Amino acid sequence: MRLLTPLFLAFLILAAAAVLSAATARARRFSGWLHFALAVEAAAFLVWTGIRAAAGHGMEEAVLVRLGPFVVPFLIDGLAGLFLIVIGVVSAASALYSVRYMEYYAGYSLRGYYFRLPLFVLGMAALVTIDDLSIGFSLAWQIMTIASFLLIRFETRVKAAVRAAGRYLLLMELAWALIVGAGILLGGRAGDSLHEIGLKAAAANPAVLAAALALLLLGFGLKAGVFPLGQLWLPDAHSAAPSPVSALLSGVMLKTGIFGLIRIFFFLAPAAGPGFDPRFWGGLLAAVGTVTLFIGTLQCVKQSDAKRLLAFSSIGQIGYIVLGLGAALFLSASDEPALAGLAAAAILGALFHVLNHAIFKGLLFLTSGSLLYATGTKDLNRLGGLVKWMPVSAVLAAIASLAVAGMPPGSGFASKWTIIASTLLAGQGWVLLVPFGIVALFTSAVTLACYVKFFGLAFTASGAEAAAAKPIREVPGSMLAAKIGLAAICLAQGLLPFLFVRLIAGALGHSVGFAMGWFFESGAWSRAVGASASGLRIESLLGPAAGAAVSPLLVLALLLLALLLGVWLRRSAGSRERAVPTWLCGYQTLNESTRFTDRGMFAALKNLFRWTGGRTSPKE
Amino acid sequence: MRFIMPLINVLAFLLLAPLFEGLLRRLTARVQSRQGPPLVQPYYDLLKLLGKENLNSAGTWPFRLAPLLAFASILVVVAVIPFGFRAGALAGRMDGILVVYLLTLGGVAVLMGALAGRNTFGLIGASREMVTMIMIEPVLAMTIILGAVKLKTLTLVAAMPFASGAGYGVSTVLMLAVYLLALQAFAGRQPFDIAEAEIELLEGPMIEYSGPNLALFKLSAMLKRMFYAWLFVSAFLPFLRTGIYPLDMLLQLAAMAVVFAVIGLVGATNPRLRIDQAVRYYAVLIVWALVAIGLAVKGW
Repeated sequence: MRLLTPLFLAFLILAAAAVLSAATARARRFSGWLHFALAVEAAAFLVWTGIRAAAGHGMEEAVLVRLGPFVVPFLIDGLAGLFLIVIGVVSAASALYSVRYMEYYAGYSLRGYYFRLPLFVLGMAALVTIDDLSIGFSLAWQIMTIASFLLIRFETRVKAAVRAAGRYLLLMELAWALIVGAGILLGGRAGDSLHEIGLKAAAANPAVLAAALALLLLGFGLKAGVFPLGQLWLPDAHSAAPSPVSALLSGVMLKTGIFGLIRIFFFLAPAAGPGFDPRFWGGLLAAVGTVTLFIGTLQCVKQSDAKRLLAFSSIGQIGYIVLGLGAALFLSASDEPALAGLAAAAILGALFHVLNHAIFKGLLFLTSGSLLYATGTKDLNRLGGLVKWMPVSAVLAAIASLAVAGMPPGSGFASKWTIIASTLLAGQGWVLLVPFGIVALFTSAVTLACYVKFFGLAFTASGAEAAAAKPIREVPGSMLAAKIGLAAICLAQGLLPFLFVRLIAGALGHSVGFAMGWFFESGAWSRAVGASASGLRIESLLGPAAGAAVSPLLVLALLLLALLLGVWLRRSAGSRERAVPTWLCGYQTLNESTRFTDRGMFAALKNLFRWTGGRTSPKE
Repeated sequence: MRFIMPLINVLAFLLLAPLFEGLLRRLTARVQSRQGPPLVQPYYDLLKLLGKENLNSAGTWPFRLAPLLAFASILVVVAVIPFGFRAGALAGRMDGILVVYLLTLGGVAVLMGALAGRNTFGLIGASREMVTMIMIEPVLAMTIILGAVKLKTLTLVAAMPFASGAGYGVSTVLMLAVYLLALQAFAGRQPFDIAEAEIELLEGPMIEYSGPNLALFKLSAMLKRMFYAWLFVSAFLPFLRTGIYPLDMLLQLAAMAVVFAVIGLVGATNPRLRIDQAVRYYAVLIVWALVAIGLAVKGW
C-alpha cells in the first residue's frame, strides 16, 4: 500500500512535466531542461519504488484503486519493481539526451514532443503496475500507444515516418483488442486482478483456455516484437522516431510485451490448474524465441541504416529473452531438482537480459542519435572515421557494441551465457533445447558481425568527412552525460553480474502468484545458481562439478595482464611508431568509387541467408 | 602446482607455437619440391618484426588496440585450458562457452584493426574473415558442447576429455570427422585461407600492419592454430592420457605435431576456394555437427 504513494507521485510529476514543458516549448532549451528536471524526479520515484518492491517491501496482493468511475487493481510486486527500475533509468537518460538533441529538428515545434514524452513514460509505468486485463489495462495501454504513436510521427513532413506510425498504431490497437478479448474469453470482468482471472480460467473449458492463451501470446508478442509480428512494425517505427524515443521504444517499451508474457505464462496461466500445460507453452515460447533471435539477427546484418540495424537487432535480442522464458517454463514443469534448477537459471538469465538490453540498446540508440546529430546521416555507407572527432562517443559506442555482441566481460555476455548454458545443460529435459542453445550461440557471432560493422563503419574506416554538411564535432556535454551514465551501468552489469542476479532473484521471490515463486522465496535457487563476486555458476546437481561457471572480473584481470604482456612485447625492441598514409591499393585517392562501403560487407553471408528477408528501407 | 599450470600453458604455447609454424612451412616447401626455411625461421621472423618500425596509417586507438586484443584473448584461452589433461587453478571458474567467446573476441580484434586501417583490401579481407568466423565457430562450439552434453557440465575441469568424454560413441566419431574437415578453416590455411589470400588480397586484414603490431598478429595466429591442434588431441585422443603430467604434455605435443603435419599436407595440395563455395561447405559441416549433438543427447 505504501508504495502506491511514490508511484502516484511519479505519475503526477510526469503529468506536470507534460503540461509545463509543453507550455514553455517556445523557449526550446529551457523547456528541455524543465522537462528533464521533472522527468528525473519522476524517474527517481519510479526507481525507488522499484527497488523497494524488488527488495520485498512491495505489495502482498493487488490493491483496488478508484480512478474516477473505474476500479483498477494495482500490484507493485517484485516483478513490477524490476520493470519500474528499467523504465526509470532509461527515461531519465533519454530526457537528458533530448535537451540538446532536439536542436537537430530545428524546423519542428517541440510542444508536442515534450507533451507526449512524459505521458509515454507514464503509460509504461502504469502498464507494469496495473494488474488487470480490462479497464486499467486499456487505460495504460492506450496512453502508452497513442503517446508513442505521436512521438514516432514527430517528423510529420517525412512520409515514411507518418506511414510507419500509422501501421504501428493499427497493430498496437489490434494487440489491445486481442489481449482484452482474451480476458473476456476467460470470464474476466472489469476490475478482476490477473490472479482472479486465472482462477476463473480454471473453470473454463481447456480449449477456451488454450484459445485465450494463444490470443494473449499474439497480443503481447506483437508488442514485444517476436517473429514474424515484430517485423511488421518494429524496424520502421524505431528508425522513424527521434533517437531518445527510439531508445525508450526499444529499451523499455518492447519489455512491456515481455512483462505481459511473464505475467500471463508464469502468473495467470498456472493458476488455471491442470488445463494449462507448461511443457507445451514453454516449448512453443522457446521455439518462437529461437526463430526470432535467428531471423532477427540475420536481418540485422543486412541493414545499412544505423537505426534500422539497431531495430532489427532489438528483435534478435528479444528472441534471447523469449527463449530463456520458454526454457524456464518448460523445465519448471519437471519434478527433477536438476531441471528445476536450470529453469531458475533460465528465467534469471532472461530477466537479466531484459535489464542489460534496456541499458545497452538505450545507449546504442542514443549513439545513433549522436551520429545523426553530428553528421546529419545515419547511413553506414556514408559514415566513417568519426573516432577522430568524437572520441568519447566512440568509446561509449565500443562499450555498448561489445556488450550487445556478448563479448566477455560485457553485460550481454553474462546474461546470454546464463541463457545458453542453461539450455545446453537441459538436454535430458527436452532434446530440442540443446540445438536451441547452439542456434543462440551461433547467432551471437552474427550479432557480433552486426556490431563490428556498426562500430567499424561509423567510427573507424573512412568517409564521414565527405558526407557531412558541416564540420564534425563531438556532441554536447549533456548528451554525453546521458550516455556515460548508461555506459557506467552497462559496465557494472558486465563485471558485477551477481548484484543484478541477486536483485532479480529477490524480486522473483517477492512476486505475488509467481509459479516458481517458492524456489526463489525459500532461497533454493541459490543451490542451482551461484552468484557471488567471483562470478556466476550454474550447478549441474548431477555430478560433483559445477554445470558451468564464469568469472567476468577474473576474465577482465587476465585480459589486462595479457594486454600488458603484449604492450611489453611491442616495446621490447625499442620500436617507434610512425604515422604514414594508408596504402590505397594502387588508386590515387580514396573516394566514393574506390572505398569499401557497407554494401559489400559480409556479402557471402547475406547471400547465404537471403531467404530470411529483412527490408533495408522503410516500406513506401 | 595448480596455480603454476596456467603459467606452464602460456610458456609452452608461446615458446612452441613458432616451432609448429616452422614445421608447417617446411612441410609445405617439401611437398612443393623446395628446400624450405629452417624450422626456427618463424622465431627469426618474429624477432625481426619486433625490432622494426611500427607504421600507423590510421592514427587512432582502435588501430593500436587491435593487435594487443587479438594477442590477449588467445593468451587467456591458452591459460585456462587443461593442457596435459590437468586442470589448472583457472579452469574451475571458466567454461566452454567462455572459450568460444574469447576466440571470437580475438577474431573481432583482427577485424577492428582492418576497419581502422581503412585499406580497401583490408576491409574485403575483414568481411571474409568475419563470415568465416561466423560459419566455423559453431563447429568449434559443438565440439566442446558434445562433451558438455555427455558429461552434463560445461566447465573445463570436468569436461576435460570433451567430445570423447564418457566413451567413444557414434556421435564422437561423427564429430571427429567434422572436426577434421573443418581443420583447415580453423587453422586458416588453404583451401580456406580466404581472408588473408596473399596473392589476391595481400594478407587482407593485416595489410596495413607492420613491425611489432604485425608480430603480435602473427603470434596470435600461431597460438590459435596450436590451440585448435590441442583441442583435437584433447577431445578425440583421450587414450594419450597416462596420468603423469609431464608425459601427458609431451604426448599431446607429439600428437599436435601430427595434426600440424596433416594441416600442412592438405594445405600444400589444395587450391583456395572462393568465399561463397567455402560458406556452403561450412553450412554442410554445421548440419553434420548438429546431427552429432543430437545423437549425443540421445546417448549414442
